[in-house]
Amino acid sequence: MIKVENNSQRLLIGLLVIVVVSLFITSLFIGSNPLPVLQAARESLLDTPTVIGLIFGEIRLPRALIALFTGATLGLCGAAMQGLLRNPLASPGLIGSSSGAALGAVAVLYFGLGVVMPLAVPLGGVAGALLATFMVYLMAGREAGTLTLILAGVAINALALALISLLLNLAPSPYAVREIVLWMMGSIANHSMTELWTLLPGVLLGWIMLFGTGRSLDALTLGEETASTMGISLARLRWRIFLAVALSVGSAVSITGSIGFIGLVVPHLLRPLVGYQPSRLLLSSALGGAALLLAADISTRLFPAGTDIKVGVLTSLVGAPFFLYLIIKSRRYQL
Amino acid sequence: MKHVMLTLLILLTGYQTTWGDDRPQRVVSINLCTDQLLLLLAEPEQITSISHLALEPNSSYMAAKAVQFPVNFAKAEELIDLKPDLIVAGLYTDRSLVSLLKKLGYRVEIFPLSSNIEDIRNNIRLMAKLVGHEAEGERLVSEMDQRLEQISRANPDHRPRGAFYQPNGYTSGRNTLQHSALLLAGWNNIADEEGVVGYGSIDLERLIQAQPDQLFTSSYAPGTQSRGQKMLHHPVLKKLTQGRAPIEIAYKYWICGGPMIADAVKMLHQSIPQ
Repeated sequence: MIKVENNSQRLLIGLLVIVVVSLFITSLFIGSNPLPVLQAARESLLDTPTVIGLIFGEIRLPRALIALFTGATLGLCGAAMQGLLRNPLASPGLIGSSSGAALGAVAVLYFGLGVVMPLAVPLGGVAGALLATFMVYLMAGREAGTLTLILAGVAINALALALISLLLNLAPSPYAVREIVLWMMGSIANHSMTELWTLLPGVLLGWIMLFGTGRSLDALTLGEETASTMGISLARLRWRIFLAVALSVGSAVSITGSIGFIGLVVPHLLRPLVGYQPSRLLLSSALGGAALLLAADISTRLFPAGTDIKVGVLTSLVGAPFFLYLIIKSRRYQL
Repeated sequence: MKHVMLTLLILLTGYQTTWGDDRPQRVVSINLCTDQLLLLLAEPEQITSISHLALEPNSSYMAAKAVQFPVNFAKAEELIDLKPDLIVAGLYTDRSLVSLLKKLGYRVEIFPLSSNIEDIRNNIRLMAKLVGHEAEGERLVSEMDQRLEQISRANPDHRPRGAFYQPNGYTSGRNTLQHSALLLAGWNNIADEEGVVGYGSIDLERLIQAQPDQLFTSSYAPGTQSRGQKMLHHPVLKKLTQGRAPIEIAYKYWICGGPMIADAVKMLHQSIPQ
């Protein structure tokens, strides 16, 4: 019996990997002009890359990689938070981590600290995410019901967005105010490898911290008391996950802006497929998140050139109806 | 007594006499571009007030001279207090303010935008005529023309190709001063080749495929930070042009049309790679 389950899990992961890889490759093929991608990939490795090599290596590759890492981060963190808080609506977007991260990054980037020290921007994001997540947790309390958690999240999100607008209005750059949408909706266009390297350390560190939490999250499904009799320190687990989410979401969002709903939708869609087991949900949600963001980013480029659709607009268009559906469903079952 | 009566008569009727100096004596400018021309052409005694933007060194070419004059913020009440006999404004100055001032009987002259050198000549001559210094206007025009002519004569036979790349991926196509300046300085404008008219955005991949020899930027508020401005530091821009970073040419040379365009053309010309 167990063996059959393991096989079906392998199949699921295998399928998700195939989807992510094919979306990643598709992403490299889509741009304002058709490009002989294989030739471009080869030429990007030359000492003095050709024009198509530059487009491949400096524009398309970083874009696809940033989508991959950010999407995976959001999916993974959504799964971890839903497991920790045992709440189907917990996700980086809803409980303030993303908007807190955006606020932290804005505070650093627009006031010149990012020039002196490029890593200050993701660090600002990490600090903002940690602060916002922790405040929501404090406001909602330990055994928070769904409603309390969502309300606390709404409050912190609203506060963070208000502060982002305030800071961007006060920022010395005349371009700042126009970029409010970018931070609220998120965008992965026009980034370079520099941004990828800025985002990567925090993201990877967060991932490593999260992937070790699977067994504890499994135990937690039996209740806090049972989990602690099984030798799991809930306080340590909580801090570990909060810190890991802040590290990875904070670093990713400081580059992309907050991209909504991926962390909410992906774990939900995949949960039945992993037998409702949080430990299995982690890896599959990471893959699912990467696939969703890659797909959304590809879609933004299918609009006619010059229409600058932010990727978060598309993820929200998919995610918001799904969120409504979850609310209606949970009302029906009186959760 | 007779003098007083005459002055009163003039004040009451608002009638312009040919008697004495008929040049406007209390000129107020409420636009950055009319500020520049006024400061270039009028006697200091004629200038009653200029716009507060004239003091901003990044966008105002005449900022150094501007400091000695009182500034206004283009508000109707403060303008009336200045008792102007001529108000000069730009095409995009607040229309309701202009129509209010006209309704109150003030003489308001509107200056069109400059998108090429001929527009600049016309605006210099218009301001010169308004403030009664036609000869000085002609001198400025011919000096500018001579400088431009001199630069154009030294232009290479094979024109390199350049483009402006601004924060948020904007560029300057046909019908812009940057386009005129590029051509005069011996460059071909890639944005024009790509069909951009006026100021428009250009896709980064398209810009790279056009293979510019050099990129230029003329960003507003240099030294400030934003995501849009960060795009100018994309490493691909340097790699594209053999390691040369985009060349920054200050905004003040072409935000307003004036003889200072010759300075910008000279800088563009000097940046032609050997």
